[in-house]
Amino acid sequence: MRYNIAGIIVDMNVRFPRLRSQSKTYEYNGDRETNVKIHLTDRFFNERLAENPHLDYEMIEYIWMGSEFYNALIRFNGMLLHSSCVVYEGKAYLFSAPCGTGKSTHTQIWLKRFPGAYILNDDKPAIRITPDGVYAFGTPFSGKTSQNVNASVPIAGICILDRDTTNHIEPIDPDDALFNILNQTVRPPEEDSMDMLLTTLDKILRSVPVYRLYCNMDLEAAEVSYNGMNGGNK
Amino acid sequence: MKTKKGFMLRSVAGRHVVVAIGKASVEFNGLITLNDTGAYIWEKLSKGITYDALLEGMLADYEVDEATARAGIDSFLETARSANLIDED
Repeated sequence: MRYNIAGIIVDMNVRFPRLRSQSKTYEYNGDRETNVKIHLTDRFFNERLAENPHLDYEMIEYIWMGSEFYNALIRFNGMLLHSSCVVYEGKAYLFSAPCGTGKSTHTQIWLKRFPGAYILNDDKPAIRITPDGVYAFGTPFSGKTSQNVNASVPIAGICILDRDTTNHIEPIDPDDALFNILNQTVRPPEEDSMDMLLTTLDKILRSVPVYRLYCNMDLEAAEVSYNGMNGGNK
Repeated sequence: MKTKKGFMLRSVAGRHVVVAIGKASVEFNGLITLNDTGAYIWEKLSKGITYDALLEGMLADYEVDEATARAGIDSFLETARSANLIDED
């Protein structure tokens, strides 16, 4: 079966229900050529299972099909940003942080505060440089939750998230942004892929503003982050 | 002396950054940022160079006196060596 994920035509041999249901809306029957073929073999499944006995075949497929996709994405002017991505008023806002900081908690506050907002991908949105600008894309691979939408949305801003008792937000400089973003993506070991990743990251950082948000779990947190990234009041 | 194999210097968002690739990336998952002089020294070191040749190059390419150039190189090497980024030969 072929899928259109982030504008890339991917041939995946999906076998298990979890990935099958999550990738349903990405199925593709058009005329475009396949860009990437990802077929996991029986042997691959068994090797991963031997290394990770706490997983099952279904999870192995979900995790490694995703990681092969994000590896390939680098060759298409794209990258994975480990983040929760919320869309509001036609623009995408990505909140990135190490696990357990509360990315999803924060975007859930957006959903409560801003009617019409939705989650594009709760854990692993794809970012791609397109002729129209830098876009976030939903993918079937969305971490623990199944929250993802097959859509592409221009990015308004990226936020590095930190917990605090009060809500405040500030723009951060490229050094800080680079460090945080490189820590929340998968770095390829190959030199040419790393080169492409850094080229993509360079373009992203030149056109997308990056902020650091300190937030608690009040509704006000969503207002502070929205206002901070829009320079206005809501 | 030479920078260790498996590191790559690139310019990203106007900054000079060094990241690890291949086997080196297993041990070093960080990010090194360099100023212009640091990037100049790294570039020379990545091809392998002696201390004296590096000093000569800096004196030719920058308008600095020898004491300043030495201080710059020494402080760079001290940091790079303590991070285990240099192969001596």
